[in-house]
Amino acid sequence: MVTQVKGHWLGAGLLCLSWWLPGVAMAVALSVTDDRGEILSFERAPQRIVSLLPSLTETVCALGECQRLVGVDRYSNFPAVVQRLPKLGGGMDPSIEAVVALRPDVVLMARSASGVDQLINLGVKVLVLEPKTEADLKRVWLTLGQLLQVNNAPGVWQSMEADVAAVANAMPASAKGQRVYFEVSPGPYAASEASFMGQNLARLGFKNIVPAQWGPFPKLNPEFVVRANPDLILVGEGSAEALRQRPGWSTLRALREQRVCVFTPAQADVLVRPSPRRAEAARLILDCWARLERPPS
Amino acid sequence: MSPKPLTDALQAQGLSVHLGPKTAQNEVLHSVSLNVPAARWTSVVGPNGAGKSTLLKCLAGLLPFQGSVLWDDRPLATWTAKSRASHLAWLGQNQEGAPDLRVWDVVMLGRLPHQGWLSHDSDQDSAEVEQALRATQAWDWRERALGQLSAGERQRVLLARALAVQAAVLLMDEPLANLDPPHQMDWLHLVRSLVAQGRTVVSVLHEIPMALCADELVVMKEGRVVHQGQTADPKTHLALEAVFEDRIQVRSVQGQWVTLAKP
Amino acid sequence: MKAFLIKLSLIKFSLGWRWLLIGLCLVIGLVLIGLCVGSAGFETGLVDPRIVWEIRLPRTLGAWAAGALLGLAGALAQGLFRNPLADPYLLGSASGASLGVALALAAVGVRQAHFWFHLGLTGAAFVGALSAVWLTLVLSRGVAQTLRLLLSGVVVGVVLGAATQGVLWVAPESLQTLQAFILGSTAFVGWSAVWMMLGVGLPCIAVAVLLSKFLDGLSLGDDTAMSLGLRVVPLRWTLLAVLALCTATAVSQTGLIAFVGLAAPHLVRALVKTTHRLGLVLSSLAGGILLLAADILARGLIAPQELPVGILTAVLGGLYLLWLMHQGAMRLETGS
Repeated sequence: MVTQVKGHWLGAGLLCLSWWLPGVAMAVALSVTDDRGEILSFERAPQRIVSLLPSLTETVCALGECQRLVGVDRYSNFPAVVQRLPKLGGGMDPSIEAVVALRPDVVLMARSASGVDQLINLGVKVLVLEPKTEADLKRVWLTLGQLLQVNNAPGVWQSMEADVAAVANAMPASAKGQRVYFEVSPGPYAASEASFMGQNLARLGFKNIVPAQWGPFPKLNPEFVVRANPDLILVGEGSAEALRQRPGWSTLRALREQRVCVFTPAQADVLVRPSPRRAEAARLILDCWARLERPPS
Repeated sequence: MSPKPLTDALQAQGLSVHLGPKTAQNEVLHSVSLNVPAARWTSVVGPNGAGKSTLLKCLAGLLPFQGSVLWDDRPLATWTAKSRASHLAWLGQNQEGAPDLRVWDVVMLGRLPHQGWLSHDSDQDSAEVEQALRATQAWDWRERALGQLSAGERQRVLLARALAVQAAVLLMDEPLANLDPPHQMDWLHLVRSLVAQGRTVVSVLHEIPMALCADELVVMKEGRVVHQGQTADPKTHLALEAVFEDRIQVRSVQGQWVTLAKP
Repeated sequence: MKAFLIKLSLIKFSLGWRWLLIGLCLVIGLVLIGLCVGSAGFETGLVDPRIVWEIRLPRTLGAWAAGALLGLAGALAQGLFRNPLADPYLLGSASGASLGVALALAAVGVRQAHFWFHLGLTGAAFVGALSAVWLTLVLSRGVAQTLRLLLSGVVVGVVLGAATQGVLWVAPESLQTLQAFILGSTAFVGWSAVWMMLGVGLPCIAVAVLLSKFLDGLSLGDDTAMSLGLRVVPLRWTLLAVLALCTATAVSQTGLIAFVGLAAPHLVRALVKTTHRLGLVLSSLAGGILLLAADILARGLIAPQELPVGILTAVLGGLYLLWLMHQGAMRLETGS
């Protein structure tokens, strides 16, 4: 919030200055600050946008400005309309030529992507945004809302928050305090409390066996999971069958009592990606819990 | 001169070798025939590229060839691998490798033809190895790694390996490489004592004066045997001078045959 | 019989045998430590015996067994190719295993690819590794020339590596799992993996020790080996098969662990000059010790988080080799 206020003031100040400084062709209309702290100025809201991060693609579309996207990365797959857009390589290693050829007004990409400097040197405006937590997501939402001059972006955010809160309230009391383990990929890599989905799970009242101080996706000793003996396991369908074969894991209560939520790759996308589909992610978990709680018919 | 022995240790008849596809250019030996007398020292001489090493390898059965090679009047194919290995010992040129093996272990490899896969080194094996090491003055370094030795010392160890086989026939390709003159003389005495024991020695030597100490000489040029005969025979000397394009002369100095370069 | 026993009692405990004894003691010590290291770091207190029996013991033994297989394979590779820089993966088995795993991962969603799915990642890696070696042998048209074999191995490695990248491009969601495989991991080694590795490893080392004299003879060159009565071509085929089998088994259970196969024979050579009969056994032991020590550190240093074990093997093995080189104890080239 603070940087946006500063941005507003700076924008206003520049506007005044522009009356006095010769050589400035046009007035500066808006400016935003990105994750690097860089301030980008635009004469008007960008009409041609390239997004090189799936979560940013989803955010732009959720703000209702999907039509402004002219190109996305290979991994952007939601909503369905973006799949018809030109693919510009991976998010981490985009094709610089293809990006520049689309003449974008702004390129949205992650901090950890390569090519940021190259694009800037080629005269392209780059906005570096990489949401990893809920707080990040809110900041990105408001920044993009301001950039795209979307009315009532904060309002939409509030309603999304309300949706998530509604799902959280719908969670039965039996879920409160249940100890959960979310495996992101075999390794095993777990999602801790510090990760985006970890925060989602905490919202729904679950307790993560992996605390936040180990980073968002720590590589764990499988023995830890056995000793922690979680009440609920969340895992992608690729690894689900193999869980029981792991040495010592057959003793896990969650496996013996079938308290496992298995997600398809599409569902895993919703859960793992820090995107505006938080309510949908929460609903996936709610549905799974409800299925597990239902007495066998 | 001692009378010619009754048998030949090795015989080659119509030996032809191609390196690579069988074309005329690739023929290295052109239908070579020769007899190596038993219990004698025969030396193969000739200019570079004459095919001396190739001939030696064929006689040892290490290269595919056309024609026939006979050991003790029996074709090579009738000898089993083990009988071949214990009958004929081979010392090749520019031997590589084994820098981490102890000298003792390297020479013990020479006893392989007499050992089974799992058998330990018997007392006789150890005795033969010791004898071979002493004969080449390498006994003091038996615990050292081969890689720690100088080139000349390594050559003596490899020679000891060939001796340890206790074979009836020894084929040696450039055995004097890296050896200084005193050790070259030691080698000479060694060969003479082997022949005195009744063994057959065939060597390829670059050093003509040393080759002229042999009993028989095989003179080669461009893949053919130009002459084979006793070293003392003047015809042999003429053949030798001819293959080196008459740029050397063979003379007797103090009872030894030496070569003099023609000015 | 009596003579044999008398001979046995008179065995001079040469340096090699002494190191063997030291190595065995080290293994026992490391196994005991391994049983005490878990998700809470090093703990000597009472732990649920099921944890020890079902998780820690098989993982510890499995790490040692995988390292032993790699150490043996490395010693075989260096002996067969007379090259101190040879490692078990030089015939393309690493790339083959990666491709097998990549295909198996990509086929998870594809219903027609049930064969791969049932094979599992372990089976896919094993089949991939062996297929790559077979391809190398076909390309080099036999084992008569070692240079051609090495070149074929490089070609197969590069081509299959590119194919793996291609599969990843089509199915990018498998990237993280494949990277974990490439880094190597002992995290899920259970009893079945241990029996598999021992079941392959023990016959392999028996065959290798039986043929150890061949490797010694080979070190003097192919010609000399032939003149000593060794049938170079069939024996080379046999030992290459042993090499491929050991590597494929290790890789299928623990992924591509780097450096163990390369470093173990060097460590042995730096400590003792011996023929292959004892050298192969010592290399195997050294490889096991290296990987087991790395695995213990991987689990213990930042417990309950884990470091990738491949990084630790490179650090441990590399540091020790550097120290040896500094000491001047190593001669990688023959000197005069």
